[in-house]
Amino acid sequence: MKKYLLTAGALLLWSGTALAGGAETVTMPAEAYKAIMEKLDALQKRVDVLEEGGKAAPAPAPAAAVSRAEYDKLSKDIGNIYDTLDEVETKTLRDRINWGAELRTRVDNYKLSELGPSDVQIKPNNAYMPGVAGSFPMELVPMDGDDNDDNNWTNRVRLNMDAKINDTLSFHGRMAVYKNWGDSDYTTTSLYNDLNRVHRPEASGVKLDRAYIDWVPDFIVPVAVTVGRHPSTEGPPLEYKENRQRQSTYPGLLFDTENDGIVVTFGLERYTGLKNAGWRFAYGKGYHSDSDDSSSFSFFDDENDASDTNMYATFLESEIPCLDNSLMVLSYAHMTELPSSFLGSDSPINVGDMDLYGIHMQASNFLNSRFDIFASWAANKSDGNGKFVDFSPYVGTAIPTMGLLSTDGTEDRTGSSIFAGLRYTVPFTPLRDPKIGFEYNHGSKYWMSMTMASTEMFNKLATRGDAYEFYYIQPVNENLFFRAGYTFIDYAYTGSGSHLGQPAETDAELDNYYLLMDVRF
Amino acid sequence: MKWRIVCCMALAAAIWTPAAYADGGDLFRQKCGSCHQKGGQAPPVNPADKAAVVWEKFFDRNRHTVDLSAALNEAELKSVVEYLQKFAADSDRPETAAIPK
Repeated sequence: MKKYLLTAGALLLWSGTALAGGAETVTMPAEAYKAIMEKLDALQKRVDVLEEGGKAAPAPAPAAAVSRAEYDKLSKDIGNIYDTLDEVETKTLRDRINWGAELRTRVDNYKLSELGPSDVQIKPNNAYMPGVAGSFPMELVPMDGDDNDDNNWTNRVRLNMDAKINDTLSFHGRMAVYKNWGDSDYTTTSLYNDLNRVHRPEASGVKLDRAYIDWVPDFIVPVAVTVGRHPSTEGPPLEYKENRQRQSTYPGLLFDTENDGIVVTFGLERYTGLKNAGWRFAYGKGYHSDSDDSSSFSFFDDENDASDTNMYATFLESEIPCLDNSLMVLSYAHMTELPSSFLGSDSPINVGDMDLYGIHMQASNFLNSRFDIFASWAANKSDGNGKFVDFSPYVGTAIPTMGLLSTDGTEDRTGSSIFAGLRYTVPFTPLRDPKIGFEYNHGSKYWMSMTMASTEMFNKLATRGDAYEFYYIQPVNENLFFRAGYTFIDYAYTGSGSHLGQPAETDAELDNYYLLMDVRF
Repeated sequence: MKWRIVCCMALAAAIWTPAAYADGGDLFRQKCGSCHQKGGQAPPVNPADKAAVVWEKFFDRNRHTVDLSAALNEAELKSVVEYLQKFAADSDRPETAAIPK
């Protein structure tokens, strides 16, 4: 073995001192000599290890004659490789954001039927002429009979961003375009506002859906701080239907809106032994009052407008004990000074406060049955401040006033909702294990949720009545799947999804058939 | 009001000029810039030409084609490398024109 070592050592020495034939001598710098000796030491150690392991050492490389020209070329090549590496490494380090994209193309068939006298819309009057007697800015539109759209096509593009800034900071963002086919105008309804504008088809402009940092400092207790425009949409259990990973901190039945705020999460797993246990405290704004006019100080509060809506919430979550791949979330949220309109430019007033409570449970592949199951319950309690909106001067007709879940905001209301369902993964390899699912939700007369950004145009989880949905997911490959579904909603009361006005009984029904294609990469 | 502005400016100046990379920057411009200049013996070089970790590897591998020991002692070279890393391509403030190209 030693002779191998000597041979290799001689080869290394030779490579630095003399060329074959002795025609030319190379003077070896002290650093090069030191490097060779270090290599010899490393080789010796390797030989020792091999000998101790009883293994045969590899045969030494045969000595080869290298000319000076070849030596210089090799040196130059190595220099070029280093230069290339430097460029590539520099470019890689400057590419701080990893990008991903999604495209969803969806076609819907909507039919709203059995509309009655209680089902009305208040819409802007396009024929309004200021100053003209008998002309009003709004109009009251009865929704008698049926209403439908037999093929509503939409495109939704999302650009997802992620960056690890350093060991304690990471950034996540999403920009999106969502539009109807052949339609790129802005929608002015107050139902489209800062809580859901990225989740409603509109113009072809890019909007900011999410942008937040996660800061996980070294602290005496495990803590994470999330600041920015939050991942507050499509929360559990909506990932089952969306065929993806969990998308939001908050349970989908309670809170599914775009939201700016701060969340502090304390990790409790090490203290409770419950997997993924955490306690979150959140603060955000549901509505910001400012002068949306041409004032020079448009960033100031609008003194004639509604005050800000602040949201304070806490969420306690963990895996359900003894149930793998499960989740349980207890929620409480308090919203102050809800505005009569979240749009802002229509001079809203404050109508009162609202509390939301909830409990959510779900389990993926429940007891290895291939069933994903979930159940949610939530409740709301209003605290009206006695203020209300009277649209009569705007529509020219005496209509009931609208306070918080009542006509005048003097009575506090309590509502509730349940949401349950399942998804089954069919073990059929030729079709790549498709999934079938069913969802049901029921909301009471005064049920009101913060789910304005729901993926369904009609805010299904805000339904005051019963909603049923069946769907089928057909994977094509790891990036592409199709989903077909049918939703039926039997409304019991009007005003689903709105915190304004006294709900009235209705027989309205909604049928929705849809097909969508989702590509993610 | 004026004293507040003066205090703020003094504070900003103190924060802005920590000795480590100010010295490194001066050394870089004076000593490296004597060769790495437009029309000079070597092409212009700036901190933003490489990422911070690449600068570190560049000098660890002793890849500078000219022996720098006559121009910079060990402490000065360390200071220059710190400056290059502080304003490297992947830094918050990549410096592209310390030596005009």
